[in-house]
Amino acid sequence: MEREIVLTGVSVDYGNRLALDNVSTRLDAHRIAVIGANGSGKSTFARLLNGLETPTSGSMTVHGLDPLRQVKQLRRRVGFVFTNPDAQIVMPTVAEDVAFSLRGRGLSKSEIADRVASVLAENGLGDHADAPAHSLSGGQKQLLAICSVLVSDPELLVADEPTTMLDAANTRRIADLFAALPQQIVLVTHNLRLAERCDVALLFDGGRLVEQGNPVDVIGRYEREFA
Amino acid sequence: MQALGLYRPGSSILHRAPAGGKLIGLFVLALAASVLPASLVLLGSLSVIVVVLYLVAGLGFRELAGQVLMIRWLILLLTITGLLFLPLEDALANITRMVLVIVLAGLVTLTTRTSDLLNAFEVALSPLRLVRVNPERVSLVLALSIRTVPVIAGFAQQLRDAQRSRGGRLSIRAFVVPLLVLSLRHSDDLADALVARGAD
Repeated sequence: MEREIVLTGVSVDYGNRLALDNVSTRLDAHRIAVIGANGSGKSTFARLLNGLETPTSGSMTVHGLDPLRQVKQLRRRVGFVFTNPDAQIVMPTVAEDVAFSLRGRGLSKSEIADRVASVLAENGLGDHADAPAHSLSGGQKQLLAICSVLVSDPELLVADEPTTMLDAANTRRIADLFAALPQQIVLVTHNLRLAERCDVALLFDGGRLVEQGNPVDVIGRYEREFA
Repeated sequence: MQALGLYRPGSSILHRAPAGGKLIGLFVLALAASVLPASLVLLGSLSVIVVVLYLVAGLGFRELAGQVLMIRWLILLLTITGLLFLPLEDALANITRMVLVIVLAGLVTLTTRTSDLLNAFEVALSPLRLVRVNPERVSLVLALSIRTVPVIAGFAQQLRDAQRSRGGRLSIRAFVVPLLVLSLRHSDDLADALVARGAD
């Protein structure tokens, strides 16, 4: 299975702002941290990987797929976790929201039920399957959002500041969960401790990719020059 | 927000009954309550049926009372307008009919998972494919509507708290405008999430 993200001269121009400026990179590490100040282009980079944004110029592939021509296949292989789980949970109850991710995949009702029950049990939400999603705590909602992505067994998980709204205990829980996942992960974060636990880090500034490498070195530069 | 009529887990015969059957049952009983001439026997019988059904579903009198309490302002409004324009008997009959239909509808949502209800809607709406309406999209809109109610209520609570914390008096303009902005931003985020989850 190809597990590489390749960007060649990718720019994203919103008309009044260049969100990404001529970014080129090749990424095959397991856990990839993306850091930088607000408005530096981190989230735009993450959104490109799931086809939520498309390059204005340049070319890219994600696990061998072209986001412009193969966006449906791409979204089946790339799961996306947003900052605010309330905006990601679309169904009224916990189990129903996880099951929503499996719609249109040709699975039987019992297969869907089994997969939903399994992913909820693995992530400590087994007892909340029939609970209204809005009744969960912030940490549980983010776990639910992650379960809703993991149930479809993506090859790549992109998380855009998934711990910003969480307390220390839930942040640690999500970090431990990500550390144990076999999937390739792109983690956009302001939490430098989380970034440190990754295999490689990217530093963005003003839409440009200014450094890529060992997380400790990249974080060091970020703290010296940009923080 | 628990009173939104969402599913209460259970294993009663009503919980196990198919969603389509329950919707048809609701339709028949609602029709009987609305169309048949009001009489003490009819409304009394329907009331007994409703109470028995709540007990059979294992929901009990407390849940039934909660459903009635939830629509207390509507009952009050209808009582006032009914007493102004109708004879006492007719006004009471109309209020009873309405309460019966609403608590019956509540019983269906309390004993049926939303996904099963949506599947039943999809089947019922499938003839709309002939006029190029996608029933799956219609049921998704219904699900999103149910899901969005507590989210918007949460925004409203945040705004009320923010106004109080700044010592300001409650102002409609300072409440409605940010609520609208938050709701529109939420709808953008939700659209992104749906796209990311392959729902387009």
